[in-house]
Amino acid sequence: MKGYMGKILKIDLTTGRHSTRTFDESHVRKYLGGQGFAVELVYHGVPQGTDALDPKNVLAMAGGVFDGFPVGTGGKVAWAAKSPATGTLAESIMGGSIGPELKHAGFDAFEIFGKAESPSYIFIEDDKVEVDDAADLWGKDTREVPETLKKRHGWDVKVACIGVAGERLSKIACIDCDERQAGRAGLGAVMGSKNLKAIVIRGTKDLVPHDPKKLLALALQYQKVYEAAGSWIEDTKYGTGEFLGWVNKERGVFPTRNWQESVFNEREKIDPYYWATRYVTKNKACFACTKPCGKLFEVKEGKFKGVAIDGIEYETLYSLGAACGNSDVESVARANELCDMLGMDTISAGVTVGFAMELFQRGFLTEKETGVNLAWSNASDAVPQMIELMGNRKGFGDVLADGVRVAAQRIGKGSERYAIHTKGMEPPAYDVRGMKGHGLSYMTSTRGACHLRAGFYAPELVGKFWKWEGIDRFSAVGKGPMVATMENFMCVYDSVGLCKFSRGFYLIAKLPEVIEAITGLKFTEDELLKIGERIHNMKGNFNAREGVTRKDWLLPKRILEDPIPEGVSKGHKISVEEMNLMLDDYMKARNWTADGVPTPEKLKELGID
Amino acid sequence: MVKMLVPYPENCTGCRFCEMACSIYHEGVVNHADARLQVHRRNVKLDFPSVCTQCIACGKECCMLHCPVKAIKKKDGVVYVDQDECTACGDCVEVCPFGVMRMEEKAFKCDLCGGDPTCVKFCPMKAIVYEEPKREKYEQVKKLLAVEE
Repeated sequence: MKGYMGKILKIDLTTGRHSTRTFDESHVRKYLGGQGFAVELVYHGVPQGTDALDPKNVLAMAGGVFDGFPVGTGGKVAWAAKSPATGTLAESIMGGSIGPELKHAGFDAFEIFGKAESPSYIFIEDDKVEVDDAADLWGKDTREVPETLKKRHGWDVKVACIGVAGERLSKIACIDCDERQAGRAGLGAVMGSKNLKAIVIRGTKDLVPHDPKKLLALALQYQKVYEAAGSWIEDTKYGTGEFLGWVNKERGVFPTRNWQESVFNEREKIDPYYWATRYVTKNKACFACTKPCGKLFEVKEGKFKGVAIDGIEYETLYSLGAACGNSDVESVARANELCDMLGMDTISAGVTVGFAMELFQRGFLTEKETGVNLAWSNASDAVPQMIELMGNRKGFGDVLADGVRVAAQRIGKGSERYAIHTKGMEPPAYDVRGMKGHGLSYMTSTRGACHLRAGFYAPELVGKFWKWEGIDRFSAVGKGPMVATMENFMCVYDSVGLCKFSRGFYLIAKLPEVIEAITGLKFTEDELLKIGERIHNMKGNFNAREGVTRKDWLLPKRILEDPIPEGVSKGHKISVEEMNLMLDDYMKARNWTADGVPTPEKLKELGID
Repeated sequence: MVKMLVPYPENCTGCRFCEMACSIYHEGVVNHADARLQVHRRNVKLDFPSVCTQCIACGKECCMLHCPVKAIKKKDGVVYVDQDECTACGDCVEVCPFGVMRMEEKAFKCDLCGGDPTCVKFCPMKAIVYEEPKREKYEQVKKLLAVEE
């Protein structure tokens, strides 16, 4: 079995000891790699009822099958743990170079459990694994930490770390590597709860593909396919925000001012078509990405002078921009930089600030309580100020530091009505009232509201995808089976390590030949989708075991009760009947009970124990 | 016209695809230490490729000058290591100003893939171009490398 290192590393921070175990082809046929491996480690490693911040929680990381090999956009790595934000098995995918480096060190995955006595970092250099003192790194931001560690261990090491937010156990804390983040579901807090500040890796081993010539030929072939597509040029020029204007105007589903509106009337000020030419000085890419959506955004003058970030992503233009009514793109960039450096997910952080701003608008909060003027008109100053307070858990920032669900509990006064989340996770930048199947995917996503567990925005906004055509985004009919299929599809993507930005190019049909060139193993399209189904069912079964069932999946009241007020999606909402229809369809398609629990027959069919 | 690898740091995204392609093309495996060129990623602002200039821009820090047994030679504009004469002393690796001389059992280096460089083929951003040598681009990379020390 080529392409894999065949070993998984297990590190116990309580004792500082580590061990390795090997795996064979049967493990690959069941879980493939990447997300599949990481989910398996958490699924089998975390005892029932474990608190997410308890030492018994497992933090797993695994590079995808393509990681480390020359496959365009194939450098993604999956992290997984029980999430402190949602209480579910959550994975978060990042584009840092830490996954390929782990493979060069000789491991396809690692799992970390226990808790170090004092702040520590893990240093892996091929077979040598150490737990070292991180007292001098504690309290430092995600730029200073890698800088310090690279000076100590050499510029070629790869570093994943948490910021202050992760140390302070913020439920929206992320893990950072190379200015890319495993952002969602608060995995940074899991790392912080283990007193683990950073993971440093240097690998020098060969990665051996089954058929190197074929692999290079395929890589070149797909590069030509990318470059021939019109979207390659736009994505490379403007990044992921390329279609912001279209989502806002032509589809009317760009959530604004904490989802009170779905069209941002100051859109042009945050649209990359406006800012790319003014602020972007360079393109940036993840490891192995030949379709770079990263932009080096630099502010050269004014009150935000000196800001330099890899961004601004579509989601962040929404969360720290439109969702907070913030049309000052320099302020969005500064808030983005603060989130990155303090180690907070930009989506969750921005939506939480937007939530507080709506409470301010409605008089639930006053400046006396918040210490910051949270009026929409003051967004340019308020958003970066509030982010800084949240990351450091200072002042009112402490109330908001754990996301909207916890903030609403702390504030009380019926503020839950304005807290937009499912399963405790803040939603990304698609107003699902105008795209109902995507609304279903916010509910069924195992880690809470997420646009990428099913990626159903693409089929609904465009109207066609893969094997479907003529999709009506305003209809709830028939969406259940489609969302279930797309979830399986996406699990495969996260397991091979491909960026979802490429899913329209490879689909599933193209994956077997690339997998074969790397591993020598033959898979059919159906076999891959079956693996995806297995991964999703494991997450579903874990969540049901932890008591997170249908009652916890439901959409927030705003989506069920308040129709979209203006724009081309005006008047639309998801009614309770539509929600239940979609959920019922989905459960049937999955062969799960009506409560969202995988049936014993389904688990048996998939070989899940 | 003599063509060489010319680095364009401003175009480099830091993806390291060229390193992987180079390593696979020459060795059949991925190992960044086997790649005959290097991508540097220092911080959010700094990604750049460092390539072999075939002795055009090295000045006094030239591997050919420093090889104690004169095992490094030039033929048709391409600098190569005579594998029979190399004693693996490592002097060339030490001196290479671009950090792209490699060493395993013997020293080895970029051979421009016989005139069709793999790295160039796989860089979609034109951060490495096969064209007439541009001294100012080599000097630019030298300056960026100096920042590392």
